[in-house]
Amino acid sequence: MKATTTLKISISGVRGIIGDSLTPQLAAALAQAFGTYIGGGPILVGRDARRSGIMLSEAVTAGLLSVGGQPVDTGICAIPTFLYLTKAHKAAGGIAVTASHNPKPWNGLKFISRDGLYLTPHQTEEYLDIYHQGEFAYVPAERYKTASAVSDTNEPHLRRILAHFDAAKVRKRHFRVALDCNNGAGAVLAPRLLAEFGCEVVPIYTEPNGEFAHDPEPLPENIAEICRAVRESKADIGFVQDADADRLAVVDERGRPLGEELTLALSARYILSRKKGSVVCNLSTSRVIDDIAAARGVKVFRTKIGEINVVEKLLAVRPRAVIGGEGNGGVIYPDIHPCRDSFTAMAILLEALADTDKPVSALARSLPRYTMLKEKIEGSAESGYRLVGALKKLYEGRGKMDLRDGLKVEFPDHWIHVRPSNTEPVIRVLAEARTPAAARRAIETLKSDISRLQKKL
Amino acid sequence: MKLLKIGISGVRGIVGESVTPKLVMDFASAFGAFVGRKPVLLARDTRIHGPMLRSACAAALLSSGCDVVDLGICPTPILQHSVRHGAAGGGIAVTAGHNDIHWNALTFIHGDGAYLNSFQGAEVLDLYHLGRIEKADTDHLGALCGDAAAVDRYFKDLGAFLDAGAIRRGRFKVVIDACSGAGADLIERFASLLGFDLIPINNEPNGFFPHDPEPRPRNAQQVVSVVKAIGADAGFLLNSDVSRVSLVSETGESLSEEFTFPLVADAWLAGHPGVVVTNFSTSRMIEDVAAARRSPIVRTKVGQSHAVQALLHEEGVLAGEGSGGVAIPAFQPAFDGFLTMGYILETLAKSGKRLSALVGALPRYHIIKEKIYCPPSIIHSVVDAAESLFRGRAIDTGDGLRVEDRGGWVQIRISATEPMIRVIAEDRSKERARAKADEILHEIELLIR
Repeated sequence: MKATTTLKISISGVRGIIGDSLTPQLAAALAQAFGTYIGGGPILVGRDARRSGIMLSEAVTAGLLSVGGQPVDTGICAIPTFLYLTKAHKAAGGIAVTASHNPKPWNGLKFISRDGLYLTPHQTEEYLDIYHQGEFAYVPAERYKTASAVSDTNEPHLRRILAHFDAAKVRKRHFRVALDCNNGAGAVLAPRLLAEFGCEVVPIYTEPNGEFAHDPEPLPENIAEICRAVRESKADIGFVQDADADRLAVVDERGRPLGEELTLALSARYILSRKKGSVVCNLSTSRVIDDIAAARGVKVFRTKIGEINVVEKLLAVRPRAVIGGEGNGGVIYPDIHPCRDSFTAMAILLEALADTDKPVSALARSLPRYTMLKEKIEGSAESGYRLVGALKKLYEGRGKMDLRDGLKVEFPDHWIHVRPSNTEPVIRVLAEARTPAAARRAIETLKSDISRLQKKL
Repeated sequence: MKLLKIGISGVRGIVGESVTPKLVMDFASAFGAFVGRKPVLLARDTRIHGPMLRSACAAALLSSGCDVVDLGICPTPILQHSVRHGAAGGGIAVTAGHNDIHWNALTFIHGDGAYLNSFQGAEVLDLYHLGRIEKADTDHLGALCGDAAAVDRYFKDLGAFLDAGAIRRGRFKVVIDACSGAGADLIERFASLLGFDLIPINNEPNGFFPHDPEPRPRNAQQVVSVVKAIGADAGFLLNSDVSRVSLVSETGESLSEEFTFPLVADAWLAGHPGVVVTNFSTSRMIEDVAAARRSPIVRTKVGQSHAVQALLHEEGVLAGEGSGGVAIPAFQPAFDGFLTMGYILETLAKSGKRLSALVGALPRYHIIKEKIYCPPSIIHSVVDAAESLFRGRAIDTGDGLRVEDRGGWVQIRISATEPMIRVIAEDRSKERARAKADEILHEIELLIR
């Protein structure tokens, strides 16, 4: 197999390895292209807590200034806060220096439009054209703009959340909340937000220094410490943020991780109990969301994988969907801002707890049970594409097929999904069924089909 | 035509044409590799694009594994002082000195506080051309910080070096035009350090230069009128990074920038005779002054880098240029405008003479400085061909072509900062100086065609 490429430029932005593929020169050139694309007005520049963030944000600042851009530094900032601020600050766009949940050697850039949304696939295409052509609109001294900084990055987002939810009701409960920010960007706001909700915070890794204390992917196996802390401190709930604080995992009061899929499910069920409207999520999200929506008589719209796809659909359906998200713990609540937002998810769940007077475990137990298995096999996007073609023939007529993103086949009691990843050179393989045994059977059957087909391809 | 000049100790050009974030990063990376993984100090003048170059330097240095200490807007001599007295591996000054606002530049400072010499500069350039700069991984990136005390340390040392008491007793009234450069704001500190009455002009460090930041009579009208109006003892003009000074006497006469160096030399050499370094284009005044103080002259090519390299090599006591830059190595091997102003005030105080009298005592020459555009592709050939103008005479080729005559000398040389050929003529007679310069200009025009 060829050496794996360490630079990924896609609709999810740019990711690379510091000291290798992601250099200050590259970051500056990308920022120049973005500044040229945006054409004028303030552009927010923020970063997650990674150590390499300051280097890249200086490079981005230099790039923006050189094309007459007006960089406004937000400092270390969680990504949902950054997206919210881009809109609230009436900026012309934003560049966030972040590699989300990628391991520590990585960093990246995400590009944001004036609406506070990630660039859409079409916008990304236009912007990348400018980058590839390398025709940057350099300005002379007379047209240089001055760089500035935002004085309180977190305040507007925090105030918006507090104003929207019933903070008084939550405060009365004096919840004890264990919080694991994994030393990521969430740490600059999460403890403050919880304190405003009257919670007693049991902090675990709440230094925003980018020194990830565990694998930044908030999977059950990576969050043993908070589970122990919940038990020992007798907390009501535990929250785990991913490195840039867009996703949230939940631990119940007995110290058991609920599994990422339930973050959206619990949030959606509570929001739908207050407001009628449709739900948008991606193709890989658990069926539990369909059950919840069906109980309320509302529709579920499914999209390709990628946050921007969910957001675009969520804003496009009429009437506008009331909640959306991804099964990976990404909750999108457009009343605050149409982006995955772990802070808003915390607020929803705390209000739900205060409202129902039941422990988290009871709320989770009352949801329909499914088991989802997520695996990945090595393979380039191209080999994934050929594989999907072959699988399509194999499954023809056996279930309900969806070809919008790889191949998803739905059966009455389970579904399978195969697709090439957007961010890594792997093919993702998923299966969900009513029981762990059925899910295991489904994924093993799928994998043996795949390995049989791969030999022929 | 995109202008980019790569010199010994740095690179300069027009921002947005040749000076881009990539160019700055590539050079800063090369400098980072040159100093090894040691801290690098950063300073900039007030130019509006300074923050772009600063950010590009910071990103590249951090990426090379160097810690970066950002001094912000800060005169180059203060940066040099800070590098010299700290543990830094070097410094980068983001300043284009006397060039207009479209220009900016990086000047590289060695760990000893001096501009890079020709060997060190060549090493940085080799690294730049090689282009394979090792980049640090996440765990080995540099860290970024500031140093609020750098300016305090500098002024403390300057106050100790000069006879501040004598200057204070002189109760001088002084006009300083900071040209909205890096010296703006700091001149007030400087005035209170030395206890004189300051009348500041263009004292906002905002980079909107009210005139070209080149200290010379052409730019001195404001200072002249204020000096006259309030009866000041002296007026000073600074360039954008406080490395050069020109003078206005108490009579309101704006003095050629050529006077600054011999004026300092006359006083300094009286107590500290020794080797004096200057360039081939500087007025002959310094020769007369140095001869009277039994101090030999060493001439070098134009530029602080050459001057200071020779100064250190020859263990000289003083270096300076006709452009108004003066270095007294007993304080630091750097052209230092604060030191120059302070030492001139000390000289006024101790001699009890007026500035016009001190200047009047210097031998008078008339110097004509002209320049003519020449495409860089033929510039060396044109200067080589110009040798034919001086057939049969002794030509000094230390920097371009220089020929002495009875009343003075003429020089033809390539500008270190622009695609220009400079023609300089000096003579005791103003008319003869003018005539010599015009004749050569005419011949060079013909050669370029």
